[in-house]
Amino acid sequence: MTASAAAPWGDRFRRSSGILALLLALGVMGGFYAAFAPKSYAEEGSSSSADVTDGQKLFATGCASCHGRNAQGIKDRGPSLVGVGASSVEFQVSSGRMPLARQEAQAQRKPPRYTDEETKQLAAYVQSLGGGPQLPAGNVLRDGDLAQGGRLFRTNCASCHSFSSNGGALSSGKFAPSLEHATDRQIYAAMQSGPQNMPVFGDAQLTPQEKQSIIKFVQSLKAEKDPGGMGIGRTGPVPEGLVIFLIGLVVLLFAAVWIAGKS
Amino acid sequence: MSDPHTPATTVDVDDPNVDRFELVREGARRDGVEIVHYAPRFPVPGTKEEKRVERSIALCLLITGIAGIAFVVIYGFWQWEFVQGGTTYAWFTPLLGTTLGLALLGIGAAIIIWAKKLLPEEVAIQDRHDGGSDPVEAKLTAATILNMVDETGIRRRPLLKVALLLGAAPLGVAIVEPLVGGLIKRPHPSHGVSPLFSTGFKEGVRLVREDGTPIRPAEISEGGLETVFPGIPGGTTNEYADSPTLLIHLREADARQVQPRTTFPSKATAEQRALLSDAAHGAFYAYSKICTHAGCPASLYEQQTQRMLCPCHQSQFNVLDHCRPVFGPATRPLPQLPITVDGEGYFVAKSDYLEAIGPAFWERP
Repeated sequence: MTASAAAPWGDRFRRSSGILALLLALGVMGGFYAAFAPKSYAEEGSSSSADVTDGQKLFATGCASCHGRNAQGIKDRGPSLVGVGASSVEFQVSSGRMPLARQEAQAQRKPPRYTDEETKQLAAYVQSLGGGPQLPAGNVLRDGDLAQGGRLFRTNCASCHSFSSNGGALSSGKFAPSLEHATDRQIYAAMQSGPQNMPVFGDAQLTPQEKQSIIKFVQSLKAEKDPGGMGIGRTGPVPEGLVIFLIGLVVLLFAAVWIAGKS
Repeated sequence: MSDPHTPATTVDVDDPNVDRFELVREGARRDGVEIVHYAPRFPVPGTKEEKRVERSIALCLLITGIAGIAFVVIYGFWQWEFVQGGTTYAWFTPLLGTTLGLALLGIGAAIIIWAKKLLPEEVAIQDRHDGGSDPVEAKLTAATILNMVDETGIRRRPLLKVALLLGAAPLGVAIVEPLVGGLIKRPHPSHGVSPLFSTGFKEGVRLVREDGTPIRPAEISEGGLETVFPGIPGGTTNEYADSPTLLIHLREADARQVQPRTTFPSKATAEQRALLSDAAHGAFYAYSKICTHAGCPASLYEQQTQRMLCPCHQSQFNVLDHCRPVFGPATRPLPQLPITVDGEGYFVAKSDYLEAIGPAFWERP
């Protein structure tokens, strides 16, 4: 149990140090846990000291220029990362927002610079600095109730991310991003850590089960077909009207001209 | 009419020998329309070309028929209910649109081809009249109307004039009243506080979530917020639509930047000022969710820049300055709800809001 509490998220990559740590844990826990060892192994290893060391190396080359040598932050360049937790790192790095391309209104999603493995190492390093929220294991975090997720999404998320989860504008060039490409883990991490201007929805406010309900709702929203045919961005009547006006009207106009021209 | 096309002779409509088309032409002529050219498209009936046109019209009508039947069948029998993960239902609306569109397109094309290819060629000329009405006609019409007024004798019968006004005016009101009266609502009850100036919160009322559960301070993370409602019966329903409140937990560093309140509602008493000065509970601040500009839910919270945004007209409020408007059309700060925690550790209101929430209205102080 101690092993899983220290490292609740999964890792597909086996490392020799991880096996050593596992053997140690088994020795302490006794034979009872032997039956569960293959399962709990997946949740381990990632926060091993080797990961922290590797993460620190990656951090020193890729992140320290803005966040400081010891992640203490540099004024006007990057905030302190002490206490933000592995969850925040995983969100920012796996969605490509960090490392930042340039200083602008807000970091934007782009292809990630680090592999999953490296992201985990960075997360392990930042987690070792001052704790903070961590993600549960697994890539699919949808063990919830769809209808409850919908209610919670509309109460807590829709004001910024819009009813269709397509995002919306904030002040001064900032925006709530579309959730179109967001994975289960990224949505979970965003709620836990409150990246950039997003408010934090801690586990006491939205329980892990409620978070999974919200993710289930968002992912099913994205997977569902648009019942009206073309979604046109799913942003409502304004773009739909614009398409009718610009395309529909022009087509009708040319049809009328064509019919008149034939006579 | 000196049009060169006009035949000099007029048609005698009583003449039994006049053919029907001559009567048609005469009828048009009497309406000021002169048919100057009239010829069938296919002088020799039954040619290959004529058959071809007929076939294309028939094809268009056939398409209309098939698409129309398809529409009826789809409307009646296609699976339209939402099924999670399903695709069949998603085709319902597009298929209705496609089939009905095809049917209308087919019948439209058929009518156009019929009119352009089968109906006789015709050129008709109608003279256009210029300017206003004939002055003689205008004079005669005016005289008729004035005469009607004179016939009633209303000018020299003042009793009838007054009686008409007194009789007709209430009838007019009687007609308008049920239509307009429903729109007028008296905002002030004969006793108690006007709902315009009060919400569901009062001293000791708990702040609850949408599902009615109360909230402890530890349940909202730093940098988080929660929409809360008055913990009274019906508090989360539309009956208390003016009560939704944003409970914000500022980060420690942000909370230190909040200065003591210096601006108060204009008619606030000393007691109310004291309440407002101590309205926050630690780093927890409660502000009305209803925008002071047009009453939209202003709940787009930027937890780093500490702005509260309203999505309707882009009003922005500075959360660190007691939600003073800093951008957009809103002119008044979001009202703050004085809060504390009760003996069981749940958030409660210390009083109702101390000013009217939401947009301005004419009797608002």
